[in-house]
Amino acid sequence: MLKESLISEFQKIVGKDNVLTSPEALKAYSYDGTTSWVHEPDVVVFPTTTDQVSQIMKIANAEKIPVTPRGGGTNVSGGSVPWQGGIVLAMTRMNKIIKVDKENLTATVEPGVVLQDLTLQLMKDRLFFPPDPQSFLGATLGGIISENAGGPACVKYGVTKQYILGIEVVLPNGEVVHLGGRTLKNVVGYDLLHIFISAEGTLGVITKAELKLNPIPAAKKTLCVVYDDMAVAGEGVFHVLESGVIPDKIEFMDNWVINRIEEMMQLGLPKEADALLLFEVDGIPEAVEKEVEQITEITKKYGAKEVRVAKDADEALAYWKGRSAGFAAVFGKAKTVFAEDVTVPRGNIPKLINRCKELAKKYNVEIVVLGHAGDGNLHPAILTDINNKDHYDRALKAMDEIIESAVEFGGVLSGEHGIGLEKQKFMKKVTEPAVINMMKGIKALIDPNNIMNPGKIWE
Amino acid sequence: MKDLKELKKIEQFADQCMKCGFCSFFCPVYQEERVETSVARGKNYLVKQILAGKQEWTPVMADIIGRCLLCKRCAANCPAKTQIDRVVVAARAELVREKGLGAIKNFVFRKVMANRPALGRYARLMQKFQWMMPRTEGKIRHLPDFVKNLGKRNFPELAKTFLRDQVKPVYKPQNGQKPIMRVGFFTGCATDFVYPDFGLKFIDFLTRHGVEVVVPDTQNCCGAAIYFSGDFETGRMLADLNVKAFKDLNVDYIVTTCATCSSTLKDYQKYLPDNEEQKQRYEEFEKKVKDSMEFVIDILKIKPEDFKLKKEFEGKTVTWHDPCHLVRYQNIKDQPRAILKALKGIKYVEMPNADLCCGMGGSFSVYHYDLTKKIAGKKMDGIKATGADIVVTACPGCMINLEDNVLLNKMPQKVHHLLELVE
Repeated sequence: MLKESLISEFQKIVGKDNVLTSPEALKAYSYDGTTSWVHEPDVVVFPTTTDQVSQIMKIANAEKIPVTPRGGGTNVSGGSVPWQGGIVLAMTRMNKIIKVDKENLTATVEPGVVLQDLTLQLMKDRLFFPPDPQSFLGATLGGIISENAGGPACVKYGVTKQYILGIEVVLPNGEVVHLGGRTLKNVVGYDLLHIFISAEGTLGVITKAELKLNPIPAAKKTLCVVYDDMAVAGEGVFHVLESGVIPDKIEFMDNWVINRIEEMMQLGLPKEADALLLFEVDGIPEAVEKEVEQITEITKKYGAKEVRVAKDADEALAYWKGRSAGFAAVFGKAKTVFAEDVTVPRGNIPKLINRCKELAKKYNVEIVVLGHAGDGNLHPAILTDINNKDHYDRALKAMDEIIESAVEFGGVLSGEHGIGLEKQKFMKKVTEPAVINMMKGIKALIDPNNIMNPGKIWE
Repeated sequence: MKDLKELKKIEQFADQCMKCGFCSFFCPVYQEERVETSVARGKNYLVKQILAGKQEWTPVMADIIGRCLLCKRCAANCPAKTQIDRVVVAARAELVREKGLGAIKNFVFRKVMANRPALGRYARLMQKFQWMMPRTEGKIRHLPDFVKNLGKRNFPELAKTFLRDQVKPVYKPQNGQKPIMRVGFFTGCATDFVYPDFGLKFIDFLTRHGVEVVVPDTQNCCGAAIYFSGDFETGRMLADLNVKAFKDLNVDYIVTTCATCSSTLKDYQKYLPDNEEQKQRYEEFEKKVKDSMEFVIDILKIKPEDFKLKKEFEGKTVTWHDPCHLVRYQNIKDQPRAILKALKGIKYVEMPNADLCCGMGGSFSVYHYDLTKKIAGKKMDGIKATGADIVVTACPGCMINLEDNVLLNKMPQKVHHLLELVE
């Protein structure tokens, strides 16, 4: 519980309507998109200006109150759960798109802007912000930057960090700093900008961001490629890339996922297929046509059973809707789901897929695979039930081994979801002690009182 | 005694939410307030807390569960297919079971709306005294400034003679044709008290198309405002009365021109049943209920190009507003568009976000009028973007709210039910 006097100070700073203390509101800010991480804050504060954030941080720092910044609360690593209570800084009311600069292909936004709102606004100028986390309907830019989110389109376009030119950050002591800038090139001293990107809100509060944009390509086409062996599908990914085509998306789904999606939305996906690859290519129309031909040829040559090219935008949209329903399909079928986020170098995708199959047998649990095959970021999901101890324990073991396997194949623990609370226990296993110490040192330098999103990343 | 009977019925739906938060993008209330308790995910989480015995029915909780338009945009777009409307309605019912209705709702729902003669008497009383309220424009009046708690709302004048006082029990097809079918007309309160001429015109339309129309005077309010507010007891009573009113009339269909009424009648089976027998009875009833929009196209099979525009609308540009109770509760969206696109003499323009709720939400707008105005503001932006002269819809509830907000925003548009446009 915070002192009454502090609550009224917050009310003075942001106004009464922007401070919530009812037990109901605190409950509603105790979770994010994960299944089992829950902790209530003591107060929820909605700042609307950088100055307000700064004033709140000064108080929090003086009183040593934990502060957890939160946007849409869509993250799936526990990152925005206020694990040690204190203040949830809800950034959802700082949601202005300040400027779209068509000349320089940049946009200036507040952290609470929802990605889909930005996308719709940019569309009017035929521009887009390429990182595409699939939570775009709820995810805010502040969170997307803090988690360094990625999505399907990163095969060609890369992840969030490649599209952030600069940020305004309020440090834990309330000081406002500007990192990066508005230019494409910038080598003025240490690259502190990229320490804040993916810091999961443990270093400061992002209050403004300068984004790099791309023009929307004139043409897009979608192909659905059917395989009767999922490891062969995995190989299809690098055969296509090797051939010189860089699709903007290559997504993978296994037989289990295909069938659940089909149950939900009847898209006419081939139910008997062992796996599917969904490709999207974009660019100038002539190039796109050529690339479609090339993908068709290459995938057929390397074992694809069937290639379906979407006739029109509607059919393409249906495939992508199916893909984005994938996670819902998984979560709807089990009490508890471990959604893994391991990422391996692309060439090792078949190995990882085969390993998942073996582990499913070894531990007698259902492991389903979907994900961004194009960048090696698979999301194997283990279906279990936290109330069934025996099953749950086996699932935990399988998860441990999936992560160990990913590291063995030269990969990483998390590609785009972040560590947060969910992946903490693996952090030590897969990271050199000296590296962790360096991270902790940076944290101590910027946040000596450990008030920013404490309890995250390290155990 | 806390059996949480109503909540237990929907526990399976509440469990489906996987907390992805995508609902926030579609929720008109969240879009204004940007607070987690406004959105489906937050409400659902708190309802689950109640089910787990970790949350009480506090006044804050009651406010949270009341802050929903039941527009179903979240449910329609939910990747996990969580039926959040059922969760919210059941939560309201549980709240009423636990805390009672409150004096005002108790009086309005149970003493006025649930009793056809009483409702008529009160409406007549209001009609007599509405001269006290200043006229905004034409047949639209607004509340005098001293009734501040209801806001400066504009609403249409109550008719001099209600439909119930001029309608006949049976109408034979015109020109002495043999009836192609026999249809029960469910008038609905708004058509009864505010738009009776429209009700008569609809009967005329049906009989011209060879339909025999019966209008039982035992029909009651559909009960939408009542059961969506959680008063299941009165809701069931009205459902039973309405089912009974049409039971022995030997009708092929029960048709209404109000989207809210048609969806409410159809959904008795979904929200209200307390036992198997009731469920079956409501399901039987549902099969016969048709909204006028689907009835004219799908049942009467009138070709869209065969509708004839009334002279007074010639040369106008029109746009369509999807009532929540039509587009999401009944999946009716193509039929009205087909008619409007085919109607010769008008220009049809699709509005951006045509399916966005107008912000009315029944009694929501009484308790949260400021929010209603903000949400309606976005609807108005869509209407402005079309440059239309006329906003067409098929729900008197929406019509009342759209008319209010068109005037508040000093816009020139007129609002009409689609069937008012045609001969």
